[in-house]
Amino acid sequence: MTAVSEALVPATRDALALLLLAMADDELVIGFSDSEWTGIAPLLEEDVAMSSIAQDELGHAQALYRLLAELVDDGRDADAIAYDRPPEGYFHARLLDHPRGDWADTIARRYLYDTADAVRLEALGACSYEPLRELVAKIRREERYHRMHVSAWLERLAGAGGEPRRRLLDALARLAPDAATVLAPLPNELSLVMAGILDAGSVDLDARWRAEIGPAFERLGLPMPPPAAEPAAARTNHSEAFRWLHGEFTSVRQMDPGATW
Amino acid sequence: MTAPPLEPWEVFRQEKEGDPMRHGGSVLAPDAELAVHYARELFGRRQESVRLWVVRRADVHDLSDPDLLNPPLDRSFKKPGGYVMRDKLAAARERSGRPKPKASNR
Amino acid sequence: MTDPLALEPVLAPGERGRLPFNDDHRDHDERFELFEAHVQAGGKVESTDWMPDEYRTGVLRFVEMHANSELMGVLPEREWLMRAPTLRRKLALTAKVQDEVGHAQLLYRVAEDLGKPRDAMIEDLLAGKTKFHNVFHYPTRTWADIGIIAWLVDAAAIVAQQALRDSSYAPYARTMRKICWEESVHIMHGRDVVVTMVTGTAQQRAMVQEALDRWWGPLMQMHGPRSDRAKDRDLHWRIKAKTSEELRQEFLSIYVPRILELGLTLPDPELRYDDEAGAWRYGEPDWQELRTVVTNHGPRSQERLAFRQLNWDDTAWVRDSILAAQPTAA
Repeated sequence: MTAVSEALVPATRDALALLLLAMADDELVIGFSDSEWTGIAPLLEEDVAMSSIAQDELGHAQALYRLLAELVDDGRDADAIAYDRPPEGYFHARLLDHPRGDWADTIARRYLYDTADAVRLEALGACSYEPLRELVAKIRREERYHRMHVSAWLERLAGAGGEPRRRLLDALARLAPDAATVLAPLPNELSLVMAGILDAGSVDLDARWRAEIGPAFERLGLPMPPPAAEPAAARTNHSEAFRWLHGEFTSVRQMDPGATW
Repeated sequence: MTAPPLEPWEVFRQEKEGDPMRHGGSVLAPDAELAVHYARELFGRRQESVRLWVVRRADVHDLSDPDLLNPPLDRSFKKPGGYVMRDKLAAARERSGRPKPKASNR
Repeated sequence: MTDPLALEPVLAPGERGRLPFNDDHRDHDERFELFEAHVQAGGKVESTDWMPDEYRTGVLRFVEMHANSELMGVLPEREWLMRAPTLRRKLALTAKVQDEVGHAQLLYRVAEDLGKPRDAMIEDLLAGKTKFHNVFHYPTRTWADIGIIAWLVDAAAIVAQQALRDSSYAPYARTMRKICWEESVHIMHGRDVVVTMVTGTAQQRAMVQEALDRWWGPLMQMHGPRSDRAKDRDLHWRIKAKTSEELRQEFLSIYVPRILELGLTLPDPELRYDDEAGAWRYGEPDWQELRTVVTNHGPRSQERLAFRQLNWDDTAWVRDSILAAQPTAA
C-alpha cells in the first residue's frame, strides 16, 4: 500500500476500489470484444485501426488493475485481478455484455461506451487521488483518437441510408437500452464525490452524457438511449456471451494455475 | 447512389523532428478523413513517426524524364566535385612556404 | 506557363538517360534485353517503369502469394487471441496478429499497383486459384504453438524476407525493409513465450517439446525443395536473391543452436552440421506433404478458407457502404 492510498478513509478506499474495478473491467471486456475483429475486419486498413483501439483499451485496463492492486494490497497483481475471478465476480457494465455482433454493433457499442467513458474520465480530471488523476490524463489523450474514429464511422453508417443505416438502427435497438449502465450509480459513490475523487454523482454524469451525444443523435436522426431499466443491476448478472468470453480468456491460465506464462 | 471507389493515398512520414518527409507507402481509403486514420495505423502505430502527410495519389505529379532531370551537358560547375584544385594548392604552398591546414579541405 | 511534361523529348532514343527500356520508341525485344540487363546488373524497377509482361506477372505472383500468406497466417494465431494467459501476452499477441494484417495490407498494395485489384486477389485466394504458405495450413493445438510460431515460423520467414530487401522490384524491396523491422519484435515475443515455458513447470516444458515436434516437419519444408539456380525465373529477374536451400541452411545455422540451448530436442536423427561440407545435413523433408498442403489439402486448409470466406461475406455490406457512403463533411 502506498502513502497516498493509506491516507484514504476505509469507506472511500472501498468505493474507490469499486470504481477502479468497474473502469478496468469495462476496458478489459470492450478491449476483448474489439480484438475479436483482428484479422477479420471489413478492410485491411480498418482491421489495423480497430486492433490498435482494442490494444489501447486493454492497456488502460492493465494500468487500472495495477492501481487497484496497489490500493487493495492483498497480494494479487494486475493479471491475478484480471483473470482469476469467476464470471460473476466481474463488474463491467451490461452494455459490454453483448456479443461482438456485426460491424454496426461494434460501432454502436464503441460510440455509446466511448462517449459515456469520456464523461466519466472528465469527471476524474481533477481527482484528489493523484495516481488516478495522472493515469486519467494519459488515458484521455488516447481516447481522443477513439472518438474521432468511431464518430467518423457513426456518421458514415447513419448517413449512408439503406442497409448500413438499417443495421446501425438494429444495433442501437439491441444496445442502447443498456447504454446508460456505464454511468449508472456505483455503491457509495457519494463518498467518492465527498472525497473529491469524482466531481459529480451519476445523475449529473448521465445528464452530461446525454447533452454530449444529443446534437449528433438529433442531426443523424437516431433515437436517444433510454434510462437504464435496472440501474442497481447495471454491473451484475452477466450474459452467456460474457461467460463464453470468460471461459476462453481463462482457459490457458487455468491449465497450470501455479505456472508463469 | 454511385460514389468514387476506394483510391490510393500516398503517405509521407517524418521520423523525427527536423528530418525530411520520406515516402512511407500507401493506403486505400474512400476519403481524406479515413485516409489519415489509416496512415496513422500503417505508418505510425509503433511511434515511428512524428508527422505524416497524406496525399491523394491522383494529386501527385510525377517527373522522371531524364531530359529534364539529368540533362547531358556539363553541369560540374554546379557541384562541389567540379572544383579540383589539389595541384594548384600544392603549388601555392610551395610559393608561400606555409604548411597545409589541418582540419578543412576547402 | 508551359507544362514541362508536355515538351517533346529533344534527344534521340538511347541518349536520354539511364533507363532506356522506358523509351517507347524502341521495339519490344530491344526493351526486353535492356530491361533484363538492367535488373541483372542490380538495377531497380519502379511501378511506373516499363516492364516485360513476364516480369510483371512474376513479381505479381510472388508478391500475391506473400500477401496471401500474411493474410492467412493471421488465422492460426487468431484462434489463441482470446486465450492469452496474461495481459502482456494478450497485448503482444494482438499486436503481432495486427502486424500480420498490416503486412498483408502493405503487400497487397504492392501487388495492386502491378494491376490486380485487391478484391480480385482475395477472391482468387478464397476460390483456391492462388496459394499461401504451407505452415498456415496446420492446426494450433496449445499455447506453446503460439511461442513456436512466433519464434521459429517467423524466423524462417524473416530469413527469406531479409533476402528480399534487395529485390529488383523496388516497391517490394522497400516494403520488405519495413516488414523485417517489424518482424524482429515477433521473434522476441515468441522466443520469450518459449523460454518462459521451458523454464516453467514440467507440463509447460512438455507442451513446448510436443509443439516443436509437430512444427519441425513443416518448418523444414517451408522454403521449398532444392531448385536449380539456373532455371529459377524469380532468381533470373532478381525478384528474389537466394535459393530455397540457401535459406534453409541459413535458418538452421542460426536457430538449431538456439533451440538446443533450451534443452529441447529436434525430431530428425539425421540432423547435424557437416564441418567438411560446411553445411547442415538433415533427413529429407516430406515434399509430398508440402505439395498436398499448399494445394489446399492440408489439415486445416479448407476450414481456414471457409472461415475467411464467411467473414469476407459477413463484412461485404461494410465495404459496399464505405464505397457508397460519402462523408457528410466536405
